[in-house]
Amino acid sequence: MALPQNQIPTAFEAFVNATSIDEACKALAIGDGTVVAGGTDLWVQKDEAHKTFGPRLINISNIEELARIEIGRDRIRLGARVTMSDILDNGDLGDIAPALCEAANKFASPQIRNAATIGGNVANASPAADAVVPLLCLDAKIELSKWDGKKISTRDVPADAFFSAPGQSVLAVDELITAISFEHPGTNPIARFFKSGPRPALEIAIVSLGFSARLAGGKLTNVRIALGAVGPTPVRARKTEKLLEGQRLTDDLKAAALDTLADEISPIDDVRGSAWYRQHLARTYLQEALHDAAQS
Amino acid sequence: MNKTIDREDIIGARVAKLDAPEKVTGRTRYINDMVLPRMLRAKIFRTDRVHAKILKIDTSKAEALPGVVAVITGVDAPDGKIGVIKDNPPLKKDKVRCIRDELAAVAAETEEICDAALRLIEVEYEDLPPVFTCEDALKPGAPVIEVDRPDNIAMAQDFSAGDIAEGEKASDHIVEGKYNVHYVTHCNMGVSCCLADISVDGKVTLYSQSQYPYIMKMDLAPALGIHPGDLRIIQPPVGGAFGSKLDVYPYEPICVLLARKTGRPVKLEFSREEEFIASPTRQPVEFRIRAGMTSDGIFTFRDISTLLNNGGYTSWGATTPYVTMRTCSSHYVVPHIRYSARAVYTNNPYAGSFRGYGNVQATWMLETHVDKMAEVAGLDPLEIRLRNANQPHSMTPQGSNLGCIDLVGCIKISAEKSDFLKKWNAYSAQWDNGERYKRGIGIATSLHNAGGAKIHKSDGCGTILTMDDYARVTVMTGASDIGQGSDTVIAQIVAQELGVPLRDITVINNDTALGPWDVGVHASRTTYIAGNSAKRAALDARNQILAAAEKQSNVTADQLDLRGGHVVQADNGEVVIETGRLLRQMHFAGEDAKLVMATDYYEPPTEPEDENHMGDMSAAYSHAAHVAEIIVDTHTGEIEIEKIWSVQDVGKIINLNGLEGQIEGGIAMGIGYGLHEDLKIEKGIVQNPAFRDYHVVTAPEMPPIDMAFIETDDHEGPAGAKGIAELPTIVIAPALGNALYNATGVRIDHPPLNPEKVARAIWERSNKNDAE
Amino acid sequence: MPHKVDIAFTLNGRPVAAAVPVSASALQVMNRDFDLTSAKLACGEGECGACTILLDGVSRNSCLTPGVDLDGRDVETVEGLWTGNGMDLLQDAFVEAGAVQCGFCTPGMVMQAKFLLAPGKKLTRDHVLRGLEGNVCRCTGYHKIVDAIVAASGETS
Repeated sequence: MALPQNQIPTAFEAFVNATSIDEACKALAIGDGTVVAGGTDLWVQKDEAHKTFGPRLINISNIEELARIEIGRDRIRLGARVTMSDILDNGDLGDIAPALCEAANKFASPQIRNAATIGGNVANASPAADAVVPLLCLDAKIELSKWDGKKISTRDVPADAFFSAPGQSVLAVDELITAISFEHPGTNPIARFFKSGPRPALEIAIVSLGFSARLAGGKLTNVRIALGAVGPTPVRARKTEKLLEGQRLTDDLKAAALDTLADEISPIDDVRGSAWYRQHLARTYLQEALHDAAQS
Repeated sequence: MNKTIDREDIIGARVAKLDAPEKVTGRTRYINDMVLPRMLRAKIFRTDRVHAKILKIDTSKAEALPGVVAVITGVDAPDGKIGVIKDNPPLKKDKVRCIRDELAAVAAETEEICDAALRLIEVEYEDLPPVFTCEDALKPGAPVIEVDRPDNIAMAQDFSAGDIAEGEKASDHIVEGKYNVHYVTHCNMGVSCCLADISVDGKVTLYSQSQYPYIMKMDLAPALGIHPGDLRIIQPPVGGAFGSKLDVYPYEPICVLLARKTGRPVKLEFSREEEFIASPTRQPVEFRIRAGMTSDGIFTFRDISTLLNNGGYTSWGATTPYVTMRTCSSHYVVPHIRYSARAVYTNNPYAGSFRGYGNVQATWMLETHVDKMAEVAGLDPLEIRLRNANQPHSMTPQGSNLGCIDLVGCIKISAEKSDFLKKWNAYSAQWDNGERYKRGIGIATSLHNAGGAKIHKSDGCGTILTMDDYARVTVMTGASDIGQGSDTVIAQIVAQELGVPLRDITVINNDTALGPWDVGVHASRTTYIAGNSAKRAALDARNQILAAAEKQSNVTADQLDLRGGHVVQADNGEVVIETGRLLRQMHFAGEDAKLVMATDYYEPPTEPEDENHMGDMSAAYSHAAHVAEIIVDTHTGEIEIEKIWSVQDVGKIINLNGLEGQIEGGIAMGIGYGLHEDLKIEKGIVQNPAFRDYHVVTAPEMPPIDMAFIETDDHEGPAGAKGIAELPTIVIAPALGNALYNATGVRIDHPPLNPEKVARAIWERSNKNDAE
Repeated sequence: MPHKVDIAFTLNGRPVAAAVPVSASALQVMNRDFDLTSAKLACGEGECGACTILLDGVSRNSCLTPGVDLDGRDVETVEGLWTGNGMDLLQDAFVEAGAVQCGFCTPGMVMQAKFLLAPGKKLTRDHVLRGLEGNVCRCTGYHKIVDAIVAASGETS
């Protein structure tokens, strides 16, 4: 919501109430589509002067196949319009992807969790997107579908190759996010999600940090560290991951990891927090994650 | 034997608010919901500059847009200005002085057309050098904001009592401090909105969220070029106000001018962003204090100077020193006082009044400073406060008799209930134990007026009470109920006197053409003053009824009582006659016919301050003490409040539900002030005009609150009650700051105690400790 | 003229139809097409909950819900809880507990509470406090609202 003189409302000129992926992708193939599911980002942004949206509104919230959560033996697949509440209410995800559930738990508010979808959180490409951080730790893939003139074709994009800038991604105008999938992490993975408070939710992260790893024979493996709101997109902390990978968690290593993390992120000052505080929080969260990892 | 009715006490009961059923069913219509036939919508074009000469405003394209009915600018407006010192033209035509400035306004068939029209308005400016801080604005050669005030000082107040030099001589310790308190804003859930309608003979009806409708007529009329008597203010239910509607702000005259130009009803409603940018804020203040004491911690003097960032125009923020001064001079006994305040024009947004009015700021400063003084004196926070506490009926340096106060009781009860001293000693021993999470406990107290404040020539309120043939009562009061529950309190007071059920009372308070005069809802005055007026009107009606009953029975009026809709014998409750039946008999009595009606105008026994700031301006005074226990995450700086103990002198409980609700709500607002509400203004521009970046307190952040009430039974207040609604907002923030210090050894002088500030201070403290 | 779409849905138990602009929010549809004013526009960005309604039994910010997405759904607003006879148990509880001050947030609070209540389940204070995290009240300090909801929970409504 902006001062009236500073906003340029999007006047949608056509509406497609899609009931299948086919229908949605065919409508997108025209090239002037805007996809809506929960509306929690779009309905705020559609009036902002610096945003432009295609005039054909394509509603995907009635596409049943996009609402499925499939827990496979090897892979987990979340339909793009699975909501944050769906994730929280699912009986299995709490064990399989606890960090993702924690992100959903800290996501905005109950009403928004009831509406906001996992696909929408990815598509919006906010640097502070809560759900994206644990998805990066899960090596998630974003499934993109489009109508190629004859049939639906799909491609999978790794989550960490998906985002390009604030609000921007590799998603093409004729493509629909249809699912997010990730490998089953197995039993008892270490997985944590941290988000700045002090509110339990209804907070845009000053910093969020996801951490996942396995501990085998006292050594950390499969280390993944991802952060939100420390750069133009949610990011992996690859240098820190590399430093920790395959190592025993000594005090020296922990200290080195904290310093490496500080070097490889370059947060900015903004109205929500200073670069100093973002660095401080990132360090605090990684420290806590490593502490917990050592305990587990 | 006749039926008997026992006496029932509705004063002090837990009563449901009269307006609650309509509100929970969604039937209440706020101005925001109102639609009148042929109504136009209006929007304001606001500047994006902070200080600039206006060269040209071109509205021609906007006027040509289909659906636009009128566009106005300053040239369409009368010359009358608004604001406390009349420095604010509702539509600016010469110069822009702050970001919210109104340059033009559009009335159109729909909101969407208004929005589109605003985008077609073109303005040419010549930027002027801006100034944003008091310090810079006071420098010689600083840009002048208001041409009539070349020194940039909008208002000045000075007070002294005793002799500072003598105070210094008597002092063993002098403690100095500097405290800057920040911008916050009201965040009413219902955004600013008004609806204006003009009659054929030029009279104006304004549906307004005003908190002071009767004085508003006087303040608004000059901006419209009409006689105040030709203004009628109607107040539909309000979605919160908290002081924000105690002045005329430009949108209201603008709305009326559009109605006059179009001859149609016009409604003007803010967006939430506009509400953040263009509403008054709480007054930010820079305090400097020097305070002395003996080695025993007995206060000797206080020398306090304050600078108020006035912003571009002068609203009630600039007058908050009248209340700040009272706390500075009179909270605790201090023989020698000096106080000065300067409100300094800048190109920032401007402040208005806000619940706690000048005292939220003063109490943050003073109660933080008192804790620092305790440490210097080697006393605990309770002892220093008890040693210096005001006693009942003591006279303040500004000439107020504090009456039946109980500050000592507030301190002792809150300390006892919270086990304060034991915890305070234990927690301060843990500063350097290396634990991440630390507990702390802190106390603060405050003094506030609790029986109005005579800032105008009158602080009165009128009541017109009528009874119908069925003993149903209509109470027309001047007092505004903005959700706080005064209608219910007034109904309780009347019900008690007239012995009728609460649901038989209708309180009407929303129309200046019906109700008698009142100053407005502010200064914790409505229960006290409107309550007294209602009580006196009800007593008058009661006497009329009992006199009639006396004639009909063998019992004298002083032996009769009104209970449960009946006249009864006071001693045994035996029914004499049904009240409604008696009223009908009085009504249909031929030549002696009489309707029961009563009017009252209550003027409290108070005096306005004289030019030396002397005067007993409130009919009652009150204190509260808050203790807060917190847990600090020393890594993230996040503070979790574990529990709050609140003890307040309330005079007498009238509606327990309403009292608790005011205290809980006031504390929530005070927690926001202390912990995270922060309207960030950079170079005159509001940086966070949205709830997503301006954090009001939400449900999971609310700690349990243990409330206790002291009933001092004020001799003048209705049933002994005092005003209660501001103190809870005033006291809590410094209690949190003091608890933070107790937990961590970190002292933050400039609120809010947001996580970043706390984390940084703790980090700096630990770095310093490491270095040493 | 903005492009309009015909939609049909159930509103407070009755079938209704409207032609709504594609850009309209569900809140605007409630307000403009059906004269329902209980759901309030107070922030327009999902941060305050004053516009909360139930969509197929699930609470949503109506200011962020596309009006066209109401098509085919079951929509409930606070107006539907009182139709001339007794108030809903929850509404009674709000009145009795002193959970209402200015009342602007109240309809949204009641609808969110409706969503939190599950038949026969007694809610804890903590559950309710978090359940209300998306509903801002500037007057009450929340405790009396929580009291009301806890009192109403576990009863048959």
